[in-house]
Amino acid sequence: MSVGAPGLLAQEERAEHLFDTGVARSPWQLFWRRLRSDRLALAALVVIALLVLAALLAPLIAKLAGVPGPTVRDDNAVDMFGTPLGPSGDHPFGVDPLGRDVLARTVYGARVSLLVGIVGTTIAVLVGVTAGLLAGYYRGWVDTVLSRFVDVVLSFPVLLLGIGIASACSLGEGCIDGAVSPGLRTVILVVALVSWTSIARIVRGQVLSLREREFVTASRSLGASNRRILTREILPNLVAPVVIYSSLLLPQTILLEAALSFLGVGVSPPTASWGWMIADAAENFDTQWWYMLFPGAALVLTVLAFNVLGDGLRDALDPRSER
Amino acid sequence: MAAYILRRVLWGLVLLVLVSALTFVVFYVLPSADPAQLRAGRSASPETLAQIRESLGLNESLPSQFWTFLTSLMLHADLGYSYFSGASVGSLLIDRLPATLALTLGALVLWLLVAVPVGVLAAVRRGTWVDKLTTGGAVLGISMPVYWLGLVALYLFSDDIGLIPLLPGAGAYVPLTEDPGAWFAALVLPWLVLASTFTAVYARLLRGNMIEVLSEDYVRTARAKGLSERRVVLRHGLRAAATPLVTLAGLDVGLLLGGAVLVETVFNIPGIGSLSYDAIVNADYPVIQGTVLLAACFVIVANIVVDILYAYLDPRVREA
Amino acid sequence: MPHSLVRAILLGVLSVTAALVLAACGSSGDDGGSAATVDSGKDGRRGGTLTLLTSQDVANLDPGITYSSLDLNMLAATQRTLYKYAPDDPSNIQPDLAAGPPQVSPDGRTLTVRIRRAVRFGPPVNREVTARDVKYAIERGFNPNVANPYAPQYYGTVVGADRASGGPIAGIETPDDHTLVFRLTRPTASLLAEATILPLSAPVPQEYARPLDARSPSDYGNHVVSSGPYMLEADRDGRVLGTGYGPGRSLRLVRNPNWEASTDERPAYLDAIEWRIGGRPGVSGRQVLDGEGMILGDTPPPALVKRAYQDARDQIVFSPGAGNRYVTLNTAIPPFDDENVRKAVAAALDREQMRRIRGGEVVGDVASHFLYPGVLGFEEAGGQEGTGVDFLAEPRGDMELAREYMRRAGYADGRYDGDETVQVVGLAGAPDDANAQIVDQTLQELGFDTNLRIVDASVYYSRFCALPRARVHVCPNVGWIRDFADPQTVLNLPFNGAYIFPENSPNISQLDDPAINRAMARGELTVGTDERASAWAEIDRMVIATAAAVPWLWDKQPNLSAEDVRCVPQLWNQGHCDFSYTSIE
Repeated sequence: MSVGAPGLLAQEERAEHLFDTGVARSPWQLFWRRLRSDRLALAALVVIALLVLAALLAPLIAKLAGVPGPTVRDDNAVDMFGTPLGPSGDHPFGVDPLGRDVLARTVYGARVSLLVGIVGTTIAVLVGVTAGLLAGYYRGWVDTVLSRFVDVVLSFPVLLLGIGIASACSLGEGCIDGAVSPGLRTVILVVALVSWTSIARIVRGQVLSLREREFVTASRSLGASNRRILTREILPNLVAPVVIYSSLLLPQTILLEAALSFLGVGVSPPTASWGWMIADAAENFDTQWWYMLFPGAALVLTVLAFNVLGDGLRDALDPRSER
Repeated sequence: MAAYILRRVLWGLVLLVLVSALTFVVFYVLPSADPAQLRAGRSASPETLAQIRESLGLNESLPSQFWTFLTSLMLHADLGYSYFSGASVGSLLIDRLPATLALTLGALVLWLLVAVPVGVLAAVRRGTWVDKLTTGGAVLGISMPVYWLGLVALYLFSDDIGLIPLLPGAGAYVPLTEDPGAWFAALVLPWLVLASTFTAVYARLLRGNMIEVLSEDYVRTARAKGLSERRVVLRHGLRAAATPLVTLAGLDVGLLLGGAVLVETVFNIPGIGSLSYDAIVNADYPVIQGTVLLAACFVIVANIVVDILYAYLDPRVREA
Repeated sequence: MPHSLVRAILLGVLSVTAALVLAACGSSGDDGGSAATVDSGKDGRRGGTLTLLTSQDVANLDPGITYSSLDLNMLAATQRTLYKYAPDDPSNIQPDLAAGPPQVSPDGRTLTVRIRRAVRFGPPVNREVTARDVKYAIERGFNPNVANPYAPQYYGTVVGADRASGGPIAGIETPDDHTLVFRLTRPTASLLAEATILPLSAPVPQEYARPLDARSPSDYGNHVVSSGPYMLEADRDGRVLGTGYGPGRSLRLVRNPNWEASTDERPAYLDAIEWRIGGRPGVSGRQVLDGEGMILGDTPPPALVKRAYQDARDQIVFSPGAGNRYVTLNTAIPPFDDENVRKAVAAALDREQMRRIRGGEVVGDVASHFLYPGVLGFEEAGGQEGTGVDFLAEPRGDMELAREYMRRAGYADGRYDGDETVQVVGLAGAPDDANAQIVDQTLQELGFDTNLRIVDASVYYSRFCALPRARVHVCPNVGWIRDFADPQTVLNLPFNGAYIFPENSPNISQLDDPAINRAMARGELTVGTDERASAWAEIDRMVIATAAAVPWLWDKQPNLSAEDVRCVPQLWNQGHCDFSYTSIE
C-alpha cells in the first residue's frame, strides 16, 4: 500500500484459494476451532481489546496513573530554557515541550488512531465492496467504468493524493462547500478515499468467479432476481475474504493516519495523535527521546496486534494454509 | 501478443492523461495556497497582486489552464516552470531523480538479497526457528511506521547524534558523481530502513510459494528421478516460486520510484518524494503536476510490464 | 510538523526584512548574559569557504523581488545598494554605492545622491555602474513581471511613480552618469534615503535585464548580475540556475572578479560561501556546533540554544531587536469587536510562558508594546515598563483582571457565553505551533469555544490571517520586523486603517480607528528624528490602548556558528553572519 509496505499486495496472492474448500462440516465451527487454537492470534485479540478499552477509558487511566489530562500544561516540568523534562515520578513517560504529560497523550492518542482506523476502514470497505459487487456482477459498462476509475486512482501516488486532499481540505471552510470540515472528519475521508480501491478489486475478482459457480447459475435458472442472488448467494460468500482484507486494511489505515499526522496534514493539535507526537519529537529526539519512543511503540504495538489478528483470521478461514 | 501489448500501452497513455486531470482537480480546484500572494509578500497592494496573477497565468479559466498544460506537455515536452524558483519542472525532476533511483534500487537489491535465501531456508526448514523468525519479522515489518524506524535508526547509529556513531546521519547525502564514498555511506541507513519493511514480507511470500511448488507433482517426479535435493529446490522450486516475487517487486519499485516521501523526509534525501512534498506544501502547482505524473508513469509502466509478463505466461489473460 | 524555523522568524511570508537600531538608548536590560557581540570585522584571516546550513530555500534571487531576512543577507554580499548599514551599527546608514551622505532639500521633496566611481558589474556585464542602472533598478520594481512588494510604499511618492508600470519614471533624474535626483510629491526624502537600504536600489544593467524582465514572471533572478564583493556562480552567459543555484539544494557564492576593494569598506575575507538547503534546524544546528566552517541560517530549537548557551557560549550570539511578536484579534467581527473582550484576552495571556517555550529569557524580552528595544521611539513609548495599561501589566497574565474585563463586556460570570466559535489559526513548526496552542487554551479558559488549525507558512497569511473574508478571529503567530530604522515601518502597515485589503491585507486586526489613522498620516510626514520618535511613540500607545493585538515578545535572535568561524553579525538583520566581514580562523 501507499506507505511503502507491500502488505496488501503480498497477501492478495495468498488468499486467492479461499473458496476451494468444499467441506461438509460447518465452516464456522471449523473457523472457531482453528482460531481458538492459535495462541498468537488470541494474544493479539487481547491486546486489541485492551487498547480499545484504554481508548474508551482514557480519562480513568490517566487518573489512575496519577497524571494530568492530555492538554494540561505543567509549568514545572519545563525548564527555563523551554526544554521538557524526561520520565519522572510525576510523569512516568515524561512531558512534551508544552509540558503536557506523554503518558496521558499516548493513551488518548489511541482514540484517534482507533477511531480513524475503524471508521475509515469501514467506509473504505463499504464503498469498495459495493463497487466491486456492482462491477463484478453486472459487468458491461458498469464494470468498465468502475475498473478504469480504480485504475486511475491506483496509478496515483497514494500518499501524495492523501497529503493533497488533506491539506487542501484543512484550509478555509473545508472542501465540497464545507461538507468536509477540517480535522478528524477530513482525515477519515482521506484515509477511506485512498483505501477502497484494493478491496474493490478483490471483491470484483471474487464476484466474477462466484457468479459462474453452479449454485448461482442454478439460482438464476430457477428465476431468482438479481437482488436475491446478490444477497443470498454471493454476499455470504464474500464475508470471509472481506473480513480478512478488512483486518489487513485496518492496520494500514492506522499507519496512514499516523503518516499524515507526521507530515502535518492529519489531525490538528491539541488533539493527541501519535503521528503528530512523533513529528514533534523528530527535531529533538536525541536529547528528548521519550515522546518519540512511547507514541511510536504504542503505534507499532497497535498495528502489530491487528496484523497478527489478521494473519490468525486468515489462517483460521483458510484450511490450506501451512502453519 | 502484439495486439495485447499495444492495447496495454495505449491504455497506459490514457491513464496518464486521466491522472493528470485528477491532479488538476485535486490541487487546483480544492483550495490551497495562493502563489500570487506568496510571491507578493505582506505589503503588496491589491494592484500588485492582480499584476502577479496575470503574469502567472492564474486568471485563465481552469479548463483553459489544463489545456495549456496538456498541449505544452505533449507538443513541447514542457512541464512548465516552478512558481517558487522559476526553474523548469523538467530540470527539477531530472535533478532529483538520481537520489530516488539510488534509494529505491539500492533498497531493492538489499531486500532481495536477504529475502531470497531466508525465504528458501524457511521453506526448506519449516517449523524451525528460521521459519518462525521469518514470519515474525514479516509481521513486524509491515507494522512499523517507516519514519519512526528511520528516527530510531538515526538515534542509534547516526554519527552526529546517535548512541553508537556508525553511519552518516540525516542530510549527509551527496551526489554519486561528487563523492562516491560519501554517497554510499549516506545511503546505508536509508537503505536498511526502507528494505526492512519489505525483506521479511518477501521472504515469507517466497517461503509460501516455495512450499506449494515443492509439493507439486513435477517436483516429486524430479525427486523420484534421483536429482539432488539442492538441485530440486534451487533449480525447479526457486524458479517457479520466484516469479510472483519478481512481478511484485516490479510493482513495489514502481510505487517507490514515485518517491518514498517518508524516508526522504526523515533522512533529508533530495529525491522526488521530498520534492513533491515541498511542492504540495508550497502550492507549487507545476512541480506537483510534474512529480505526480512522473510517479504515475513509473507505476503504470511497472503495471504494464507485469501484465505483459503474465500474458506471456498465461495466454488466457490476453483475452481479458 | 518538522518545518523550518526560519519561517517562524520570517514571520510568515517572503516580505520581512530586518533593520535594527542598536540602542543609542543602550541595549535592553537583561539580555541573557550574552551581549550581542558588536564586531566590526577588522583584521580577519583571509581565505576559506563558509558553509551555511538552512532549512529554507532562497525565496527569490532577484534583488527587485526578494524581501526575506536570509536572502537579504545573501544580497548584502552580492549587491551594493545606495546606502547600507554596517554590521555593527544598525542605526546610521552608510554610503555603499553612494559616494557620500544623502542630500535632502530644505523642503524635503528632493533627494540627491552621488554615485561612486569605478564600481563595476560582475561578469558577464563587466562595465562600470552608472546612475542609470539604479534608475532602471527602481523602475523595474513597478513592472508587473517583477512586482516589488515595497516599491509602492517607499518609492510611491516619487513623481510619476503612481502611473509607473516598468517604464521610465519622470521623478527619477540622472543629470549625469554619477548623479541621481529623486523628485517627490511629498516631503519624505529622508525616509526615502533610508529606504534605499532595501535591495531594490541595487543597480541592474538595463541592456542585460530588459529582455529578461519582459518574461512573465521576470527571469532576471536566474541571471542576476552582481555589484558587490561576491557573486552567484554562473555560467558564461550569466545563468546562475544550475551552477550557483540548485533550487531546494544549494547555493554558491564566489568572489566577483570585477569588485574593486578600494571602492568598498567590506573586507571580504572569505573565498567562497556555500549554502546547503533543506536540513532540519535541529540536526543542522548540531552539525554547526560540532563542525568547522559552518553557520546556521535558521533559528535553533530551544534545546540547542540551551546546549550552546551552557557549553559553547562563544558559538552563539543573541542579536537583540530582532522583531516583535503579537497575537492579533479580529476587531471587525464578534466577539472581538468589543474592546473589553480584547482586553480580557490581553490580560489573560501568560506571556512569560509564551516566551519560555521558545527558549526562555535568552531569546527575548516579554513585550508590552509594539516598538521594540532599539527602535526609534521605544523609550518614548514606555520602554521596558510599557505604556501603563493595566491589562498588560502582569507578564504572567492576570486571570482575575481578565474576568473583570469580561464582566464589563457583559458576561456576568466572567466567562464567554455567546454563540461564536472562535477560529484560531496557528503556524506550523515548533515552537510556533506550541505558542498557538497556549493562546488557544487561554481562550478556552475564558470560556470561548475554539477551533484551532495549524497551517503552513505558505498559507498562514495568504489564506487565513491576511484574508478578511476567511473570518479568522485570532492569529497568534504574527509579528513584524522593520524594514529599516524608522518606527513607521513597525506600526504603519499593521495598524493603519488604510491597509485593510480584501486579500493580502497587512492590517490583520483590521483596526480602523480614525484618530489613529489621522495620527499615522501626520506621522508619515513628520520630519526630524526626535519629532518622529515622539509622534510614533504616541501612536504606539494609542494602538496598545485599543488592545487590537497583544504583544508578547521582543525577539533576541540566537545565531549559531562553528568554533573556528569568526561571525560578524548583522545587527540590522537578525544577527545573520555578514559574509563580507566574517572570516574563518
